[in-house]
Amino acid sequence: MALRLPTQLATPGKLHRHAFSSRRTFAASDALFSSFPSFASSSSARTCLLPVVRCTAQQTGPVNLAPGTPVRPTSILVVGATGTLGRQIVRRALDEGYEVRCLVRPRPAPADFLRDWGAIVVNADLSKPETIPATLVGIHTIIDCATGRPEEPIKTVDWEGKVALIQCAKAMGIQKYIFFSIHNCDKHPEVPLMEIKYCTEKFLKDAGLNHIIIRLCGFMQGLIGQYAVPILEEKSVWGTDAPTRIAYMDTQDIARLTFIALRNENMNGKLLTFAGPRAWTTQEVITLCERLAGQDANVTTVPVSVLRFTRQLTRLFEWTSDVADRLAFSEVLTSDTVFSVPMTETYNLLGVDAKDIITLEKYLQDYFTNILKKLKDLKAQSKQSDFFI
Amino acid sequence: MEATAATISCANLSSTTTHQCKWNQRLRPSSDLYRTIRFSNSFSSGNGSRSSRSLIARAAANTDNKGKKKTKSKKAAVAADEEKVDEIVDSSEGFQQQQQQQQQQPPQPKITLDDVNPVGLGRKSRQLFDEVWRKFSGLGQISRTARMDDKEALDALLIREGPMCEFAIPGAQNTTVLVVGATSRIGRIVVRKLMLRGYSVKALVRKADEDVVDVLPRSVEIVIGDVGDANTLKAAVEGCNKIIYCATARSTITADLFRVDHQGVYNITKAFQDYNNKLAQLRAGKSSKSKLLLAKFKSEESLNGWEVRQGTYFQDVVAAKYDGGMDAKFEYTETGEALFSGYVFTRGGYVELSTKLSLPLGSTLDRYEGIILSVGGNGRSYVLILEAGPSADTTQSKLYFSRFSTKAGFCRVRIPFSSFRPVKPDDPPLDPFLVHTLTIRFEPRRQRPVEGPAAGGKQQDLRSFKLILEYIKALPTGQETDFILVSCTGSGVEPTRREQVLKAKRAGEDSLRRSGLGYTIIRPGPLKEEPGGQRALIFDQGNRITQAISCADVADICVKALHDFTARNKSFDVCYEYVAEQGRELYELVAHLPDKANNYLTPALSVLEKNT
Repeated sequence: MALRLPTQLATPGKLHRHAFSSRRTFAASDALFSSFPSFASSSSARTCLLPVVRCTAQQTGPVNLAPGTPVRPTSILVVGATGTLGRQIVRRALDEGYEVRCLVRPRPAPADFLRDWGAIVVNADLSKPETIPATLVGIHTIIDCATGRPEEPIKTVDWEGKVALIQCAKAMGIQKYIFFSIHNCDKHPEVPLMEIKYCTEKFLKDAGLNHIIIRLCGFMQGLIGQYAVPILEEKSVWGTDAPTRIAYMDTQDIARLTFIALRNENMNGKLLTFAGPRAWTTQEVITLCERLAGQDANVTTVPVSVLRFTRQLTRLFEWTSDVADRLAFSEVLTSDTVFSVPMTETYNLLGVDAKDIITLEKYLQDYFTNILKKLKDLKAQSKQSDFFI
Repeated sequence: MEATAATISCANLSSTTTHQCKWNQRLRPSSDLYRTIRFSNSFSSGNGSRSSRSLIARAAANTDNKGKKKTKSKKAAVAADEEKVDEIVDSSEGFQQQQQQQQQQPPQPKITLDDVNPVGLGRKSRQLFDEVWRKFSGLGQISRTARMDDKEALDALLIREGPMCEFAIPGAQNTTVLVVGATSRIGRIVVRKLMLRGYSVKALVRKADEDVVDVLPRSVEIVIGDVGDANTLKAAVEGCNKIIYCATARSTITADLFRVDHQGVYNITKAFQDYNNKLAQLRAGKSSKSKLLLAKFKSEESLNGWEVRQGTYFQDVVAAKYDGGMDAKFEYTETGEALFSGYVFTRGGYVELSTKLSLPLGSTLDRYEGIILSVGGNGRSYVLILEAGPSADTTQSKLYFSRFSTKAGFCRVRIPFSSFRPVKPDDPPLDPFLVHTLTIRFEPRRQRPVEGPAAGGKQQDLRSFKLILEYIKALPTGQETDFILVSCTGSGVEPTRREQVLKAKRAGEDSLRRSGLGYTIIRPGPLKEEPGGQRALIFDQGNRITQAISCADVADICVKALHDFTARNKSFDVCYEYVAEQGRELYELVAHLPDKANNYLTPALSVLEKNT
């Protein structure tokens, strides 16, 4: 199987490279986008049906490709385990007694902390499809929380890699696939990352895998590096005047809810959106941080129009198109979208109590009380100055 | 030789010493110790130049290299630096002058050379621009990569041991836990849970095979050893604060069961106690975990102070006249045993062996939790009576009793203070602090015939008794449990071997109870390999368990019990709550399944009996 796979994967990869080869047309015209999902689905139908047909010819189901020991339902593979969300997923899984395997890109500084917690780290690169199949042996569930880094081209990991992974999962009989997407990704095709997430959702649905798609709004953990630390360090905080509201959520809560959803058989094939208890604008978050830190922030407000203008400007040149893609989110910022959904129904579905979900006020308050206490202790001991985080 | 020593020190010290030793070296060659000094001279001349460089570095305050400094300073030719350049030049020529200058001018430059270095300026502006761009572009994108240094520091607070981490447990950092059976189904989850919570973990494995090591997290310290072999355990318990024992025999062969489930527990408790005592000796004291010796019967003299008495419960003269009488003696036999034996034919009669307790200076029984007796004999049951009250006035003493039974042959009996009841029901509960007299009483009432081969098949006379005393010790108290043993309830074991398995497990449990360590014995139902924290758990005592339980839940109980004071000295059964099929429920579930973040263990265990 492992030998056969790369040849099958080569086809869709090539096809999509065509679709993505002219990035700028792709980003600019919406017409192409609307046709894109259908294109993806047709390609998936073509590639995903192939192994099934062959398997029936060999009188074996896709699940029994490796005869012998059945796959344990506690064995999971986490893709993107080193990320903000991924590491919380790994921790939660380990604590709940899962056997966790982490797919990590081979790199000079290995993700030691995953091994320290007891996860098994396997090296593979989504952009090299031939490395994937070996990592899926013996896996029951894939949890995919990978997102390409902003500084690398989006399509390698987020599209080609994901397509390869999903096809491979399908071919190897993975029994559940959990995919983390972005809230509102269907409404903002002008942002490449959101568009790709949306296409991947489509692709996953069409692949016929047992799956759950979870759309997320924002992580509280990100706010600390962005606002809390600069305020404590009395450095300048950058914010926009955008009216966009985001319902930030603690990644630990996301991980918890994910596993509840994972075990719930009724959730299969569902699209869930996880949002925090309240949606916040950037300005509100900064004000909250200021209040909790007990000091005023040195805020540099960048008007969204400037961001947008920069994006438009950078899009003019071929060599700055990467930058333009990176700034694509500013398009969303200008439209006063609210990244939030009412969660009552989801809580009921999962059997979770709404008061167990941490609010941003509580989260930041915890952070500041802890950090200020630590600061006090440290100040008594030394004259070191860089201990805000 | 002197010279060398001086130069080395002068490299670190002030210029004055450098100077002096330079002089020394120059003078020395003419002295009689020529060879030695030439060696030291050549050695120290190199050293000397290094020392002079270190001086310059200090004088220049901000440069790292002498050569660079010179060229740069010449190029820059800033007025503020001129003095220093002079200084450097001077320093290579004459030390006297430099010394003076250093004394005159403390090294506090106003502008460093780096401030005007065009390369540095360029780099700085580049950094500044990058920072601004990073922040600016950060506003316009959804996902972002944290910088590596940021990430590290954030992790420390949010992920690893920080208070913001949902798994963090205060005190975990200072606790080393030895996990025995770390590769078992429960053990491997226990290890991971401990790692997540920031404990230091040692894992005892029999062989350090690659597949074994791969299962364990990398920062776990692996110790090679076998619980069946006491010699290999010494290294394993070194530095440990707590032990979680989740090893179990691989087969149900009796030898295997004995080796792992019985002898294994005994060996490791013994090794742990030995280690505790060794530590205590280093601190010139007693381990808080070691037992207190109340009496040891090793020689003829050890019987001194013990007194045999007899009496009757009924003050009925007539009855006493017609009954067969009673007799008892306490003697040291030729075989080296302290034997308390006799018979009581009188109805309502009893004989007893009593002593005044003499505790070592500084120790009181209130720091102890119970009494352990090592005895042998013919399997009668006895009453242990403690007399408590102010020792000066024995008339105020109150009596407390607890009944214990022995086995035919040798055994150890553990009697917690909490099991003592006052003879007069109105008296307050026993205060171990006030105990001054200990009595072992034999009475023919409520004796049960001994079963099994030791009974000898004959009709036993339950009114005669034989009790060989080895020692009497007090068991220490403590706050937390020291040893968590995962045993089993027996359900789920194949029926033909169940008895043997249970026998070995029970024997192991007993040896743990008598070790003096704080213990928690968990007897889970049949284990399932599924994620934990999904279903409500039932904690029970008394072997009434029917349901299964997941390995992860057992592991969670183990980890939670480490710091739970209600878990100390308890044995309990645990399994999933019985869930009836839809429509056939007998009762409605009132309380909801507690969340993982809550501590379900304390309320569940606080209602259970202690010292079980």
